[in-house]
Amino acid sequence: MDGARRTAIASAARENGGGEEMECTMTCSLRESVDMVSDPKNLDASVEEVFRLMLGVNCRRYKGPAEIAEPESVTAVVGFGGLLSGACVFRSGGTAAKKIAAHMTGMEFGEMDDTVKDGIGEICNMLAGAWKGKVPDLAANCGLSIPAVITGRDYNLHVQAPEFKLHHTYRFDDASFEVTIICDGLQ
Amino acid sequence: MSEVRTLIVDDSSVMRKIVERSLRQAGLDPLVVHEAGSGIEGLELLKAQPVDLILSDINMPAMDGLEFLRQLRAQNLAPGVPVVMITTESSEEHVKQAIQAGAQGYIRKPFTAEQVKERVLSLLNAA
Repeated sequence: MDGARRTAIASAARENGGGEEMECTMTCSLRESVDMVSDPKNLDASVEEVFRLMLGVNCRRYKGPAEIAEPESVTAVVGFGGLLSGACVFRSGGTAAKKIAAHMTGMEFGEMDDTVKDGIGEICNMLAGAWKGKVPDLAANCGLSIPAVITGRDYNLHVQAPEFKLHHTYRFDDASFEVTIICDGLQ
Repeated sequence: MSEVRTLIVDDSSVMRKIVERSLRQAGLDPLVVHEAGSGIEGLELLKAQPVDLILSDINMPAMDGLEFLRQLRAQNLAPGVPVVMITTESSEEHVKQAIQAGAQGYIRKPFTAEQVKERVLSLLNAA
């Protein structure tokens, strides 16, 4: 898991490694706006926006863990690189993942096939993009990696001493999922 | 409206389906859709298939959407065909880069079918 996340983050850093964005990276700083960057309302607004526009469902944050006690779960990771390094992580059980993919495509899914995984990767990509888009300096100076999607059971995501971490749980219909923003470096 | 031949370039098959559905909801009918999973695949397809409209993602492996657009213009493939970038990147800098590379339109993900309709129809009517 850590390896997949590192790959995603490295990919984001590579994509963000040239041209005018890199010049700005040298001169801009997010240090003074860390409160704005880590504002939990931005994550809630991003999740609500992505699910309303792309799935046509109302999604609400709730307290407590997501119901992921299933034989198979799915985790999507999109890395951030540039002024902020870290990752956006989406995690849900297989049932919620299939429901999300069904809303996106208009198809029904009996198993967690490649289309479901692809859809979850895209959801994570849009969540990451919408979240960084809430802070103008972040939108302009932070690149996104291609999504990495992991499926399986009995795995944990571990990050040592992040700068900040937002971990929220959401529900739509009778499905729940978790979204985590991990910042492990801020310039 | 006469047949609209469209190329959708995105590494996500789900996003290609969503974009196609949005185009149909926009009233583009009859609609012929060609799909490419990367910029390289998109360029190859354009050598064989004439199209009236191109919609492309930016963040893709192998060849990203901006490089696809630059190659499209450099190789004079699909001259005069409007290109709309559909991407999660939303900063002014990204829009500027896309326009400099030759894009005529820019749609930020997540999007509504209404946004796709508005942008695409205005470009097709102007073409």
